[in-house]
Amino acid sequence: MMNLSRRSFLVFYRNLVSYKRFVIPTLVGSLVQPVFYLVTFGIGMGAYMGEFGGKTYLLFLVPGVLISSVMMSATFECLYGAFVKMIHEKLYDSLIATPVSAEDAVFGDILWGAFRGLISGGLMMAVAFFMGVFPVSLPAGLLLGLLMVLIGIMFGALAMIVTSYAPNFDFFNYYTELVVTPMLFFSGVFFPLDNFPAWMKTLAQFMPLTHAVEISRAVYSGVYPKSVIFNLAFILALTAIVLVFGLGRMKKRLIK
Amino acid sequence: METIIRAENLTKTFGELAAVKGISFEIREGECFGFLGPNGAGKTTTVRMIHCVSPITSGTILVDGLTANVDNRKIKAMTGVIPQEITLDNDLTVFENMMVFSKFFDIPRREARKRTVELIAFVELEAKRDNKISELSTGMKRRLLVARALLNKPALIIADEPTTGLDPQARHLIWQRLRLLKNQGTTLILTTQYMEEAQQLCDRLVVMYEGKILKEGSPRQLIDDEIGREVVEIRIAAEEDPRLIAELGPFAHGHERAGDTLFFYCRDGRGIQKKLIELDLPNTVHRPATLEDVFLKLTGRSLIE
Repeated sequence: MMNLSRRSFLVFYRNLVSYKRFVIPTLVGSLVQPVFYLVTFGIGMGAYMGEFGGKTYLLFLVPGVLISSVMMSATFECLYGAFVKMIHEKLYDSLIATPVSAEDAVFGDILWGAFRGLISGGLMMAVAFFMGVFPVSLPAGLLLGLLMVLIGIMFGALAMIVTSYAPNFDFFNYYTELVVTPMLFFSGVFFPLDNFPAWMKTLAQFMPLTHAVEISRAVYSGVYPKSVIFNLAFILALTAIVLVFGLGRMKKRLIK
Repeated sequence: METIIRAENLTKTFGELAAVKGISFEIREGECFGFLGPNGAGKTTTVRMIHCVSPITSGTILVDGLTANVDNRKIKAMTGVIPQEITLDNDLTVFENMMVFSKFFDIPRREARKRTVELIAFVELEAKRDNKISELSTGMKRRLLVARALLNKPALIIADEPTTGLDPQARHLIWQRLRLLKNQGTTLILTTQYMEEAQQLCDRLVVMYEGKILKEGSPRQLIDDEIGREVVEIRIAAEEDPRLIAELGPFAHGHERAGDTLFFYCRDGRGIQKKLIELDLPNTVHRPATLEDVFLKLTGRSLIE
């Protein structure tokens, strides 16, 4: 039974108030990583790669790296951030003693994770902008913003499921090393999947990042292959499932 | 007085473990009601069910006509909780803690600001208004928890071991504030393992042990019923018991041996006083009975782990 209300946004607001103390260090962190990826892979490696189906490598790379930075931010916020709030600061305990329900509190933090993802992705877009890579149109740019929020919610909720089982911080390594990192390399962020063996391509179809990257590329370029519908359906379905499951799991952990 | 909380056959199990075993109690409007018991007696679990942060396994609780487990948001909106653990928001200042918390109760900004200023003064934290939580002492943090619990002008306050780990000054300040609230008509629920705290604050209380209620009544009445008025403690080897019980027993209505001490409970201490002087024993204490005696008699004087 879901007990979600507008109070999720109050929890989001609480995070916003506390964020002003961390905004500079986190912005620096979010900015350095994308620049690092874009410069090393995009400019350094891209120089040797020629054209990618009529595009420069940087144009191929940006939409993928952008979405993975959303994944990373949302994931870390909902792993470490949520765990600290739950175990170390007992913040959820004080939230659920008010009219805020457990689902409100957790969903508020998933939204927060998505927002952090949006900031990372937005910064990335700005950096790419200065390197001469931008979405095909302004509406496409706005659509990318929406996509980032959706992807942020999905990875935030996935991370919450992991957090709901976590006995300690070390537990998160299983998820980051065995799921997130492989996903980063096998979802077609840095290179197309075309040359992989068939089984690997099949495997990639089960990775949510693969679908997110496909959509991002389509929106960036304005060229929508038919398969984008399938990508979007996959993302929407998975988001719904992990949200329901993640909120349910966290509720069990918070309310005993 | 009207009944504000009625619990019937309240049970809570965590897997195999039964934390609360079918207890029933009533709390009246405007009183301070205490749950006393050693660690693991089920006090905290019981109050957590009252303010709806722990699902009820079986049984019912009505809070001001609302059903716990069903009308959770409404019950929480009328309740102020002073938690056992310090659950302040470490990322925010004292002032921000109050302002952000008031949002969760839908208190309009202007009103929230007004109440925050008043409540910070109420717990004497004006000087720390813009300090971060990490810069406060434990006593200050506990006081802020009291202030925070009052933001929604609660009709019911639940204080779960509110003075754990405090020095005497800070403890007395919190007691005074809680008494002030009670005098203003707020119903107060207190869990504690400090007998002095219960005696200071509670109109009525229950002694809980292993998930059950052992006794219920006012502190005075419980002391009178279980112990009497006075207690004589004699620190002496157990071999002397038969002799002392024969000599002093007739003047007392109960005795108990715990470790190195023999206890006599009596209604009127004058007889035993005389006899004690006659016997000329070293290491005797003759003192008024306290809630602690009731507690130890009911839950046993040996260590509970």
